[in-house]
Amino acid sequence: MAFRISHMLNYRFMVIFLLAAISLGVFVVTPSFARTVTDQLERTVTVPDEPRRIVSLAPNITEIIFALGQEHRLMGATRYSDFPPEANKLPKVGSYVHLDLEKIVALKPDLCIAIKDGNPIAVAKRLESLKIPVYAVNPKNLETIMQTVLEIGGLINAEKEADLLVQNMDLRIQKVKSLVSNVAHRPRVFFQIGVSPIVSVGTHTFIHGLIVLAGGTNLAEGSIGYPRFSREQVLALSPEVIIITSMAREAVFEQVKAEWNKWPDLPAVRNQRIFLEDSNFFDRPTPRLVDGLELLVRLIHPELFKEAE
Amino acid sequence: MNTEKPLLIKRLWVVSFSLLLVLLAAMFLGLSLGSSHSGIKAVFQNLLGIGPQDPMLDTIIWKIRFPRILLATLVGGTLSLGGLVFQAILKNPLAEPYILGISGGSAIGAIIGILMGLLRFPGVSLMAFSGSIGTLLLILVMSSGHTILKKDALLLSGVMVNAFCGAVIMFLVSLTQDARLHNIIFWLMGDLSMVDMPQVGILAAMLLPCFFLVFWFSNSMNLLLMGKEMAQTMGINVKAVTVTLLVATSFMVSTTVSYCGLVGFVGLVVPHLLRLLFGPDHRVLVPACVLGGGAYLVFCDVLARTLPDQGEMPAGVITAMIGAPLFIYLLKKTRR
Repeated sequence: MAFRISHMLNYRFMVIFLLAAISLGVFVVTPSFARTVTDQLERTVTVPDEPRRIVSLAPNITEIIFALGQEHRLMGATRYSDFPPEANKLPKVGSYVHLDLEKIVALKPDLCIAIKDGNPIAVAKRLESLKIPVYAVNPKNLETIMQTVLEIGGLINAEKEADLLVQNMDLRIQKVKSLVSNVAHRPRVFFQIGVSPIVSVGTHTFIHGLIVLAGGTNLAEGSIGYPRFSREQVLALSPEVIIITSMAREAVFEQVKAEWNKWPDLPAVRNQRIFLEDSNFFDRPTPRLVDGLELLVRLIHPELFKEAE
Repeated sequence: MNTEKPLLIKRLWVVSFSLLLVLLAAMFLGLSLGSSHSGIKAVFQNLLGIGPQDPMLDTIIWKIRFPRILLATLVGGTLSLGGLVFQAILKNPLAEPYILGISGGSAIGAIIGILMGLLRFPGVSLMAFSGSIGTLLLILVMSSGHTILKKDALLLSGVMVNAFCGAVIMFLVSLTQDARLHNIIFWLMGDLSMVDMPQVGILAAMLLPCFFLVFWFSNSMNLLLMGKEMAQTMGINVKAVTVTLLVATSFMVSTTVSYCGLVGFVGLVVPHLLRLLFGPDHRVLVPACVLGGGAYLVFCDVLARTLPDQGEMPAGVITAMIGAPLFIYLLKKTRR
């Protein structure tokens, strides 16, 4: 008998213990910090299941979150987060190279999304020491941008939107690829991102990838990221197309164009193929880069579109 | 004769205590104001531990603003003390670490250290220190012919050293296009925003002993100002004192540069103001410079944090805007 009671007690105790363990387990698993993910810098980050207060630490990240239709999760963004226009209304937390730590913390973010090129590592570390998870992305070309869109989609429960967006990007990229696959000539393109001094883009930039995809030859290719050129060097390269992107708009463009027009022997001048474009299509690693790509094809290979029309 | 010592100690206490109050007031301002606008009342409640507590405000006050005002205090004190020492040893009222190019030399060293991928401590700090010693030697070599001790010559050589340092910095920056130097513009103008508590601790451990060292030699500085012969007859080893003070000062200045870049003119404004208020005795001026200089930079940093609508500006912008006009005024005054 005595044995039986103790056995029963034991049994009851076991049941209670099990129930307690299960409910504890439930409590341990459900808090908002539940997922551990690896970001693009191979760092492990614990992120909330359902991030509701995101601070974007670069304009392109803001843009991606808007493109995924998840802007209601955004609590703040950096200065120059100006696309789409609604992004201007977000509270600003400094510029992406000089972040205002206090403003970020005051927004009580449950997730910050950072970019490797630009955001100081010191800020990321301090945010993490203040228990704010920082997920870093490092987009380098169209493929990694699509990867980034998918990852951010996964972070903020917008996988479907991200899939759609990436499918659409991929489709348009394939279209451009097939369009230029048969071109006989790849025009020499000088892509000018700086006016004074003249600055162009090396091989390891988004823009180089776009020029090549769009069926052009980047005259500034090489290991230097953003090489500087003298006028003489550009003349020697004899570009067939000059594309100028500048933050400063029309007025400066006319000056720069007039500057190039002094050299009528330049193929680009002879054929009047000097163009000014919005730099935001080319220097921000966002889905809009595909718009930039389509734009470039039209500038570099106008003949492909004439035939079609 | 017997009454002099107690009087001095009393004066020392009075001056230190009043400046400590000023410093505490500046620190309170520094804790209450920032880019996120949380009312002063909420800050009061947090400091006193009464009323409803906001954990976010707690983080902002103690993890973001507090290290920053401590840093500003240390750096302001260091730079003021640096100015005081250089003015005494070079016998030139316009001498100051930034104007002499000591800060610029440290900046070159620090940037080379950053590019070599060294840690902030001890690597970058040591590189900055060697840079400052380099400029110091340059100044001393140039001043060995006596002519340099005249005000204008010393200033001119300082301007040239600064121009040279600026050029070398731009040279290094243009050569590398290194992502680590993205913040360089802010850093070159004195940026106090990027330091956390452990770093402030390291900085304090390096600077506080120097403060005491300078204080130890404060009476020697009084005697040095009366002339070399006078100081020697009073039993001062002029060479040893001069070298110790210059090296200690360069060390302090270079350390602050490696943490928060170039904050100019603090060493000019604060010592002059304090001399005006409390007289020329260095035994009083040394602690006064530490406390007053700290309060001054905390105050300048508050302006730098709160004036811009978006983000913030480097503290060096404010100190230069106050200091440079004062420099010109002093130059005109001493010329007469």
